[in-house]
Amino acid sequence: MSKSMLIISRQAPWAGPAAREALDIALAGGAFDLPLGLLFLDDGVFQLVAGQQPAALQQKDLGANLQALPMFGVEELYVSSRSLAERGLDAAQLVLPAQPLDDTALTLLLDRFDQVVTI
Amino acid sequence: MATLHVLSHSPFSDSRLTSCLRLLGPGDGLLLTGDAVYALQPHTVQLQALELLPTGIALYALEEDLLARALVAPERAQAVDYPAFVELCGRYQRVNSWL
Repeated sequence: MSKSMLIISRQAPWAGPAAREALDIALAGGAFDLPLGLLFLDDGVFQLVAGQQPAALQQKDLGANLQALPMFGVEELYVSSRSLAERGLDAAQLVLPAQPLDDTALTLLLDRFDQVVTI
Repeated sequence: MATLHVLSHSPFSDSRLTSCLRLLGPGDGLLLTGDAVYALQPHTVQLQALELLPTGIALYALEEDLLARALVAPERAQAVDYPAFVELCGRYQRVNSWL
C-alpha cells in the first residue's frame, strides 16, 4: 500500500514557480496512483479564481493543470475557508470543486495522511 | 498521530508561522530552523504567540541557527543540534516542511 500524501499549496499563482510546482507534484503522484490530497491554503486559494489571464504576464494558464487533477485521480481537493474569507472569495465561485474546511478540520485533515509537504 | 512542523523563514516578513500555528494539533511539534528562529526574538508578538502554545505542543529551535543570530532559546523552547533534528524527524509520525 502506497503512503498517502497531502500537498499544501499556499502561494499565489503568478509571482513564482511554487504554485505550478505543487500542481506538478500532485499530477505526477496521481499518474502513479499515489493516494494524494491537495489543500489550497493562504494565498494558494488565489490559484482557484476563475477568469484569470496569465497570458498578459507571458505565463501559461494553470487552469488546464487544475482541471486535470480529477482525471489523474487527485480527487481529494480542499481549501481553507478562513483563507477564502480573508481574501473575499467564495467557495462556490472557484474553478475546482474543492471542499472548504475550517481550521479545526484542517488539523484533523493532516492527521489522515502519512506524509505532508507545504509549498 | 502527531506532526513535526518545520519552519525556516523569518516570521517578520512571512506568514508561514501564523498559518502553521493555526494548524497545530495536540501533540504536534514545531521546529524552528534558519531565519525562523527569529521568532524567538525577545519582546515580540511572535515570541509571545509561541509562549502561549499549549504545553502539549513541543517547541524546538536549531542550536546552530540560534548561535549564529545571537539568540538564546527561552524556557519554552528546546535547543536541538543536527543529530537531535534527525532524531526528532523519526519521533513524529510525519514531518511537514513549510517550504
